[in-house]
Amino acid sequence: MSLLERHRNIIDFALSSLGRRWKKNLALTLVYAFIVFTLASVIFFTEAVKREARAVLKGAPEIVVQRLMAGRHDLIPAGYIDILKKITGVGQVKGRLWGYYFEPSTGANYTIVASGDPPLEPGTIAVGQGVSRTLHAAVGDLIPLRGTDGAYVSFEVARVFSHASELVSADLIEMPAADLRALFGVPAGFFTDLTLKVRNEKELVVVADKIRRLLPDTRPILRDEILRTYDSLFDWRSGLLLVVFAGAVAAFIIFAWDKATSLSMDERREMGVLKAVGWKTSEVIAMKSWEGIIVSLTAFFGGILIAYVHVFFSSALLFEPVLKGWAVLYPRFQLIPHIDPYQVLALFFLTVVPYTVATVIPSWNAATVDPDSIMRL
Amino acid sequence: MVELKHITKVFNRNRPDEFTALLDVSLLVRAGKVTVFKGPSGSGKTTLLSIIGAMAKPTSGRVFLEGKEITSLSERFLTEIRRRTFGFIFQQFHLIRGISAIENVMLPATTTGEKHATLRDRALRLLDLFGLSAKARSRVEWLSGGEVQRVAIARALVNNPAVIIADEPTAHLDTRLSMDFLGIMERLNAEGKTIIIASHDPLVYESGMVSRVVEMRDGEIRGPRQSA
Repeated sequence: MSLLERHRNIIDFALSSLGRRWKKNLALTLVYAFIVFTLASVIFFTEAVKREARAVLKGAPEIVVQRLMAGRHDLIPAGYIDILKKITGVGQVKGRLWGYYFEPSTGANYTIVASGDPPLEPGTIAVGQGVSRTLHAAVGDLIPLRGTDGAYVSFEVARVFSHASELVSADLIEMPAADLRALFGVPAGFFTDLTLKVRNEKELVVVADKIRRLLPDTRPILRDEILRTYDSLFDWRSGLLLVVFAGAVAAFIIFAWDKATSLSMDERREMGVLKAVGWKTSEVIAMKSWEGIIVSLTAFFGGILIAYVHVFFSSALLFEPVLKGWAVLYPRFQLIPHIDPYQVLALFFLTVVPYTVATVIPSWNAATVDPDSIMRL
Repeated sequence: MVELKHITKVFNRNRPDEFTALLDVSLLVRAGKVTVFKGPSGSGKTTLLSIIGAMAKPTSGRVFLEGKEITSLSERFLTEIRRRTFGFIFQQFHLIRGISAIENVMLPATTTGEKHATLRDRALRLLDLFGLSAKARSRVEWLSGGEVQRVAIARALVNNPAVIIADEPTAHLDTRLSMDFLGIMERLNAEGKTIIIASHDPLVYESGMVSRVVEMRDGEIRGPRQSA
């Protein structure tokens, strides 16, 4: 009880001491919180997007088979479907039709896919929120698209995909298979790629190996490989942002080191008075440590809280261009709030602990002065 | 109460600027009396006060407090003794700016583990005793010279010490404030407190309440005498 009371009283004094130098401490807390905010935003965003991508890809086919021509992705003959179906362990094999469409007036790239379920009427399309925003197109509007023959074909917007799917559907245009073949000039009997369902996930590698041997002009892509690509893509992007912020972090370290480690004459005098009136060295150090902990924790939790709001409620507004990576069609989506405690803990140990230690060392030196030194001032 | 035996204090030992502040000082300070150390600047008064008050250790010699030797105690124990036994009034008062009068008064007891509310009440009673209850929440830099002096005295008394040590307390005060200070010391002495003052102000060492004046020069005691 007495220990608690003692520390309560010391914390009271530490708070009043911080208040006395509020300009210095406020500046320090703000810069500190900004750094934590930046790092936490990048970490939260990267992790949430990776989780989102994993969730989306959960429903994706286990294997995608593409045909290669001179090392490039080429159309795949429909006849390959029967060959693949004969492989033991392969369940369903489907042909997919899709392609990219560059819209010069907006500078946007759309992904056009053949409609699946529910099917679309000929001459109609379903568009993602990003496409709808860029072209100002709503249900019932006509969108002209330029075919391979140079002629424009108008499609009526029948549906706009919901916000919930925006992360993956922002740039999407869905249309009937026949319309897509006509628009892109894909001949009958060919698909963009094939998708395979495999009954036993443990057999994926064996099946992929069999595909390579049976159809040497194709490459099987496993879902896990796509997941890894997503992971490394977002890791790369977050890494890029962190490198950009490395300068800011370094500036903060110098600033914080200077502010935290240098004690003003006033502070030294104060510590001398405390020693003279009966504070032990350990109590003076405890007081200065509490000051460091208060600044550190306030900045840390403030930064984390703002980062949380920034990432999960404002869709990472500030880092949008780097982290999301779309040129024109920025998806507007809300990430599902999730915090990895280990990452927060790592951030805590990388910020709060070094800062607190940095404040204690000079206080230690100052607190070991003889208590009678104040009598000579 | 406090006994010093052959105390020598050397600063910056074995360095070119070595300086002997006290040389073979032996002295007995009796409980319940008012003792004044008189002497010019640099005579060793402040050093003697800091050794008596367990703030500094002598280079050689022994210090006894109520018959127990405290010379070889660690800093931790000396701090405990200092907090419990002595109340200090410094030459510049050394109040902490930016905090209130009551917070300054509470400072010596802040780390004793006493309940905050109890401590606050006690500090308030002390301020009230010196007519300062209305200024309890005022920041010390807003107080007048006399008020600052009384806050410093209240701070020295917050742990109810047996001994009050004051170093040149009237050096920055006018005659009226100096007389006020002496009046308060007389009152405290009448209540049983031992008062030890270092001063070269005649107002202090010629005051009627002083039991003993110890004259110092060049770190040595020159002919102590009992006052009237």
